[in-house]
Amino acid sequence: MARGGENRGRLLLIILIITSLFLITLDLRGVSVISGLKTGTQSALSPVQNFGSTILSPVRNFISDVIHLGRTRSEMEALREENGKLLTQLRERRSIDAQLEQLQGALDLAGKAEFKVVSARVISQGATTSFTQTITIDAGSKNGIKPNMTVINSYGLIGVVKTVYPSSSLIQLTSDPSFRMGVRVAGSQQIGILSGQGTRKGVLQLLDNQSTIKVGDILVARGSVNNRPFVPGVPVGEVTSVDNAAGAVTQTAEVRFFANFSDISVVTVVLKGPDADPRDAIIPAKPVPTPVPTVTVFVTPSQSPSPNSTGTN
Amino acid sequence: MSTRKISLSALLFLSVYVLQEAFITQFHIGGGGFSLFLIFALLWAALSTPDIGALTGFVAGFLIDLSQSTNGAVGQWTFVLILVGFGISYLGLGYENVRMNPFTITLLVTGSVVVARVFYALLSLLLGEEIGSFTSIITSLLIGALWSAAIVPILMPLIARAYDFIEDSRLRL
Repeated sequence: MARGGENRGRLLLIILIITSLFLITLDLRGVSVISGLKTGTQSALSPVQNFGSTILSPVRNFISDVIHLGRTRSEMEALREENGKLLTQLRERRSIDAQLEQLQGALDLAGKAEFKVVSARVISQGATTSFTQTITIDAGSKNGIKPNMTVINSYGLIGVVKTVYPSSSLIQLTSDPSFRMGVRVAGSQQIGILSGQGTRKGVLQLLDNQSTIKVGDILVARGSVNNRPFVPGVPVGEVTSVDNAAGAVTQTAEVRFFANFSDISVVTVVLKGPDADPRDAIIPAKPVPTPVPTVTVFVTPSQSPSPNSTGTN
Repeated sequence: MSTRKISLSALLFLSVYVLQEAFITQFHIGGGGFSLFLIFALLWAALSTPDIGALTGFVAGFLIDLSQSTNGAVGQWTFVLILVGFGISYLGLGYENVRMNPFTITLLVTGSVVVARVFYALLSLLLGEEIGSFTSIITSLLIGALWSAAIVPILMPLIARAYDFIEDSRLRL
């Protein structure tokens, strides 16, 4: 009798294992039923997550207030927003100055005003069941969001749209350990690959072994074809330390992301990047010499000094 | 298994799943936080017989696979949790004091969470998915283990009572 029960248990285990392997196979082969099931689950959960986000918002704010020693949330948000805008302007200005200096002619640092965007609220943060770092926002395909769109906030790049559901989207954060992107050093225009490390710090590896970087260098997104997944010029982070190992083929550096991933509540998805893709302007147009009007001022000293110049007035 | 048991268990599992997906994920908890649903499922499996443990793992794994925060293929967590659910319930049956000693069950469930995540990471690598650097995985595993060790003693009395109610049995924890 006991043996029969044991055999039945084994049979059940085998059936379950085979079923799970069958599910994996179906999903890897892209069977729509499986992806539809996942989309359906997310569609059903999205309103609940919205509800949860709304009702837990005071709790989150309270915890945040306690952590921030009594300073009101709204005041901090306003200051943070303003500070972020100023920092973004400053970084964009630095990069633009550098580009003008080098006569690149590229328009990589397109301002936010040139983007067509949609803002969304964060309704869920990634769980520990996977090793990825993601957030879920309350805007999806109904709002025009598609996979591989750039996601930013007032500080800079947040991540990229990974999966889109009708009324929500999954965003892969730049801090995700599997995140990779092409970046450019504002000023020197060197390019490299930035990798997420699971924290607010990332690792930059330069592509050119002749290039050098220094602490304080600003990194901006290099941009992608058709602005997806990355629109060019979005501020990403700042170099905090440089690894000058003698045996290394190329220089590497530690980068601190501008965005604070632990405190994201609202993000902006870039639906459309700048019209003129600066990536196409690899060879900058030669500067055309333009006549510069000159004004010559002749000053003839007077014979006698004016009363004012003597200081006796 | 009676219809009452199945329907009550399903309701409880769905409730904890919604709680995890809609509420727990609202908070950015240090070090990546914890999965209440995963801990709950493994604790439930630890209290069950091996075949029910495997079945619990199947249902819980499938629900985790459907979560939007899971990046892997659907079926991956299902596969992992069938084996871990079976294993934890088998160990629970093998050692009588596991059921009697809260410390042992905490250790067992925390260990199972770590084993399940390691198994998931290995399976992800085999399927060609990127899961990040070795350091980030180790850090995530360690922090996840600490969270689990902190959560299990809090959850244990509640789940034991729910299990008692559904199974109509008297387990001593």
